[in-house]
Amino acid sequence: MSPIAASHQILEHTSELRVRLRAPDLGALFREAARALGETLAAEAGGTEDPEDHDVEIVAPDLDALLVDWLNELLYLAETRCWIPRDAEALEVSHTRVRGRVRGTRVPIAPSLVKAATHHGLHVTPVRGGYEAEVVFDV
Amino acid sequence: MTAIPATRLSPVLVEIPRSARADMRVPARIYADETLWEAIQGDRTVDQLLNVATLPGVTGAVYAMPDAHEGYGFPVGGVAAFDAETGIISPGGVGYDINCGVRLLRGDIEADALGARLEPLVHELSRAIPSGMGRGGPLQLSDAELDRVLVEGVEYLVERAMATPEDLETIEANGRIPWASPRDVSTRARERGRGQLGTIGSGNHFLEVQRVARIIDQDAATALGLREGQCTVLIHTGSRGFGHQVCTDFVRRMDRVMARHHIHVPDRELACGPFASDEGQAYFGAMGAAANFAFANRQVITHRVRDVFTRMLGAEGMLTLVYDVAHNMAKAELHEGRRLIVHRKGATRAFGPSHPETPARYRAVGQPVLIPGSMGTASYVLVGTDAALTESFGSCCHGAGRRMSRGAAKRLQAGHEVRRVLEEKGIVVRCARSQELAEEAPEAYKDVERVVDVVHRAGLARTVARLEPIGVVKG
Repeated sequence: MSPIAASHQILEHTSELRVRLRAPDLGALFREAARALGETLAAEAGGTEDPEDHDVEIVAPDLDALLVDWLNELLYLAETRCWIPRDAEALEVSHTRVRGRVRGTRVPIAPSLVKAATHHGLHVTPVRGGYEAEVVFDV
Repeated sequence: MTAIPATRLSPVLVEIPRSARADMRVPARIYADETLWEAIQGDRTVDQLLNVATLPGVTGAVYAMPDAHEGYGFPVGGVAAFDAETGIISPGGVGYDINCGVRLLRGDIEADALGARLEPLVHELSRAIPSGMGRGGPLQLSDAELDRVLVEGVEYLVERAMATPEDLETIEANGRIPWASPRDVSTRARERGRGQLGTIGSGNHFLEVQRVARIIDQDAATALGLREGQCTVLIHTGSRGFGHQVCTDFVRRMDRVMARHHIHVPDRELACGPFASDEGQAYFGAMGAAANFAFANRQVITHRVRDVFTRMLGAEGMLTLVYDVAHNMAKAELHEGRRLIVHRKGATRAFGPSHPETPARYRAVGQPVLIPGSMGTASYVLVGTDAALTESFGSCCHGAGRRMSRGAAKRLQAGHEVRRVLEEKGIVVRCARSQELAEEAPEAYKDVERVVDVVHRAGLARTVARLEPIGVVKG
């Protein structure tokens, strides 16, 4: 069985943003989540080439909560640092802990389109060749 | 489409019995005519409403308003009340934008009298009211000043000469939630809120310059100071990053303690705790602080709008606050002698003339209810009724309600096309991103006329006036 390619896709939701994430392993899934959030925020706030990285470590009670807390940590950094995540590297992910470096760029106005990542309908699910998750952002 | 047993109780009300699902504790009631009922069944609104009906201490029935649509956890347009002693409070039942709400200002000037001054006026409004925080926000607050905003709400801004004592009389709760508790607010929420007071945000938040197009109830309009042809300003925004972080913090905190309280929820975003528990009380206090932040945010924006109006129009530019109403909030209220925690998510209060919280100056007609339509279509002013108290815990809809995803809206029409259509109607548009115009296009929303007709016919509120936009500022 070949590993699935990392990807994200915006799905239909009447008022919010539902994003499907697919990746060959948990590290790639969390990286894809950061990239999906960054793309959404960049559509609102634009961007610069002024790079800024953040080392992030999150501990949560389970894998679903870990993904939500990871995204909400990036949202907090985005809004308080006027920053957008672009990519992540060297992610170490267990079912209760994620640690790694998030690469991003500075923006002139703090992005505020996404209010939070929610638990609604969220399940990080093992699938053939990797993992899949759907997360709803409150916008 | 969800297969559910539903009974139509009237032309504007559908009931789903408690027996529809084994875990429901109360029935669900949906205010909708046939057209809106069909739309509401098109997404997960009903499933989400039935989930709410399973929560501990829920009382009476859970309600969806005619503008209801799928949200996360609670549906948007949802109302549910929980016993204060045996029931829960749920951060997700209020939402991330705590005390998102609407306020309406009425002008001395007629809309048509603006003439060629309209375009520069809207342009100046867009410059004076930022969408968000840059490096150095529009109003920098010290820790002590932020604490005063969180405790005193708009009252603090009277001292700062950004509000008048008369303004306080026409804001829900007089612009100050008395149970607000800043000590239950995280450092992160403070960080996110700092510098965001006086910013309107993105998404569906906006500021509109309008014309009173039609008076439907003359007596009520007179009581509210509204007349045909008058210029009005509508402001729609909430507690910004401050409220978002408060909700984020407490969804996680409730999630951790539910097992201890033997609470099981069908959707994790419904995470909740007993209202009487330490966690319930802490959330209630933090939510109150965020609500005060939101009232103050709309007031700072009002101050800047007034400044622009008087600077550009002189003595003709006077603006008086008609009302400010929240549509994402949990309130402790007495209903038929019971103390209930009424959650309104995408729903507003609609208290009638005899309710003690209706402002004294509106006792003859009822509390103003403000229902913004979609961008470029009409908004409505209504007044609450005493009947709404027994019908829906004194609640009403909060807008037109989305019917189309943002993606579908963008596929339907490009942003520049939406801008062209609005400008052809004579509406001055200031919005930095055309994409956002496409996402908020009128076609993405339900027909506000139909939504208002349902609440009027259901007796939840009485229609007073129709307002039409002449200028739109979006974040």
